[in-house]
Amino acid sequence: MRRILATITTVALLLCAGTATAKTLKIGSLSPLTGPYAADGNDIANGTRAAIAVMQAEGGIPGYDKIELFAEDTACDPRQAVAAANKLINEGVVGAVGAYCSSATIPASEALAEEDIIMITPASTSPKVTERGLPYMFRICGRDDDQGPAGVKFMKEFLKAKTVFIVDDKTTYSQGLATEVANNADKNGIKVVAHDHVNQGDKDFSAVLTKVKQANPDAFYISLQNSSSGALMMIQAKRMGIKAAFIGQDAVYHPQLMEIAKDAAEGAYLTFGYTDKATPEYKKFYNAYKKISGEPGAYSAYSYDSAYVLLTAIKQAGSTDAEKVKAEIMKLNLKGASKQLKFKENGDSGSDYVIFKVQGGKFVPFWNPSTGKTM
Amino acid sequence: MDFFIQQFVNGITLGGVYALVALGYTMVYGIIQLINFAHGEFFAAGGYVGVILLSFLAAHGIMDTHPWLGLGIALLLTMGYCAMLAMAVEKIAYKPLRQSSRLAVLLSALGMSIFLQNGLMLTQGVYDKAYPIGFTAGGWDFGNVRISLMQVLILGLTAILLVALNALVFRTNIGKAMRATAQDKVMSALVGIDSNRIIALTFAIGAALAAAAGILVGLYYGSVRYDMGFVPGIKAFAAAVLGGVGNITGAMLGGFIIGMVEIMAAAYIPHGGEYKDVFAFIILIAVLYFMPTGIMGENVDDTRV
Repeated sequence: MRRILATITTVALLLCAGTATAKTLKIGSLSPLTGPYAADGNDIANGTRAAIAVMQAEGGIPGYDKIELFAEDTACDPRQAVAAANKLINEGVVGAVGAYCSSATIPASEALAEEDIIMITPASTSPKVTERGLPYMFRICGRDDDQGPAGVKFMKEFLKAKTVFIVDDKTTYSQGLATEVANNADKNGIKVVAHDHVNQGDKDFSAVLTKVKQANPDAFYISLQNSSSGALMMIQAKRMGIKAAFIGQDAVYHPQLMEIAKDAAEGAYLTFGYTDKATPEYKKFYNAYKKISGEPGAYSAYSYDSAYVLLTAIKQAGSTDAEKVKAEIMKLNLKGASKQLKFKENGDSGSDYVIFKVQGGKFVPFWNPSTGKTM
Repeated sequence: MDFFIQQFVNGITLGGVYALVALGYTMVYGIIQLINFAHGEFFAAGGYVGVILLSFLAAHGIMDTHPWLGLGIALLLTMGYCAMLAMAVEKIAYKPLRQSSRLAVLLSALGMSIFLQNGLMLTQGVYDKAYPIGFTAGGWDFGNVRISLMQVLILGLTAILLVALNALVFRTNIGKAMRATAQDKVMSALVGIDSNRIIALTFAIGAALAAAAGILVGLYYGSVRYDMGFVPGIKAFAAAVLGGVGNITGAMLGGFIIGMVEIMAAAYIPHGGEYKDVFAFIILIAVLYFMPTGIMGENVDDTRV
């Protein structure tokens, strides 16, 4: 009997020892994996996966055998985002990539901040995300107050627009950006003929588009939080014979736009961060991403960079302590897949918005607001 | 004036879609007093079968050479498919509960709606599916008013289907049997009408109309998504109630009213675009307050289908 007990104890001790050495680094991702924004949301989870794959191929993080991702669904809903953040806290993640909608990112980040967990958003553009003074909040993409003015500058200098019609769908993101555009247009001598709203998930835009047609503006600014809503609006606008130049923003920038709108998207302009696809960093990301989920979506490279920044900082800090990892993030100045990654004191990494034009079913870099020249 | 005419055309197009979906609600309610909450899902299923068929035809070049023939084939097959789907749903989810309380059938309908919607999501994915819409891009300009080919197509087809449905219900023996079953299931069975068959047929016709609406909406808007059935389902339900549930003409009228109110609210009321759904339901509540049986509803539930 004693021998059996001894054997069991020995085996149990050995097993414990075995698990103790096989350490797993847990990181999380928060994004809408279901619902209307599932396309972007899944791109974000997959971008994070790609970063983990690359990091592991590059030798991983010393002290950890494995990096594990917990991808939680926020459904772009504040309540579900907080629940998802709490789930990540319970899983014991050391950092999270996400979320997608600013309205979900903000409450989720408050929950994560209470536990000193680092959050890096690849996609939330509301200024409030980094302006609340949370110590561990970072952002890879640009901000509304970068993107709005970039669009306005383009309307004024390139399109020589005198009037603009603005539509948003009332989400924190789309309305914030639309307001930014409206204020800037005023300052730049472009008249905002109307700033109208539609609902999220609307399919029929004929009423508001008839107003656009009647107002006959030089530019039509489409601030919608969904590429498929943008596509529907472009199809209906073209059918109605609206001649204004279409200007959209980053949430409409998705390969799905062309797939659905087809010819109707031709000639539309969109503001999105510029990514040089010829760099070795982008190719490294592209090859890793391709293996996981085919062609990258709009936010794939941003989420890849977010996760890569997090993992690199943990590696360099040799610790998962939030303060030490943050110190490393602030020191970083590295070439990412999407852009040069260097953070400011408030957690922002700066903007690189340019104007893309849809040509032949592709997003072609078209105009650079910082130089005021076509690209 | 141009503005108003354009908005009127927009409203009547949207109303046509609601009317087609509302007919199925009203017919099923008329015959077995069931609010079939799964009805919006037939609309969505129609949209999906339509995109699969049209994409297949487009891939074989038929949409380029014979677009209208292709659309006709896709439309008929889609309507046929959804009719069979509806008969299957009826057999599985409603027929066994025919002697149960109304609440049981209602819950079964809600369950079926969730089941069908999730079925669509799991088999077709969460992303939008794009329709081949090249051939539908045309339109006509009358001054500042533009009427698109799709608007004409939706209204034309809606009109044809409505006339055909009316002829079926009021001019044929099947229609007579449907009306008889609606009036009194026991008596009509006694005179030799197979009420089970008639009920299944009613489901099939309603679903076929919803399927036609689904494929038209897919072409009009350019894409479909798994959850597309929910909102039109609710609107069509409201349209059916507005018109007087169980009344075919009422459902059509209700559909057009809801569509028109929605568009006009968005067009003329400040911030109307944000609250257009609210206005549609305000009208519904107001009508029901003053006319509890709806616009065309009778006080006694007899002349129904």
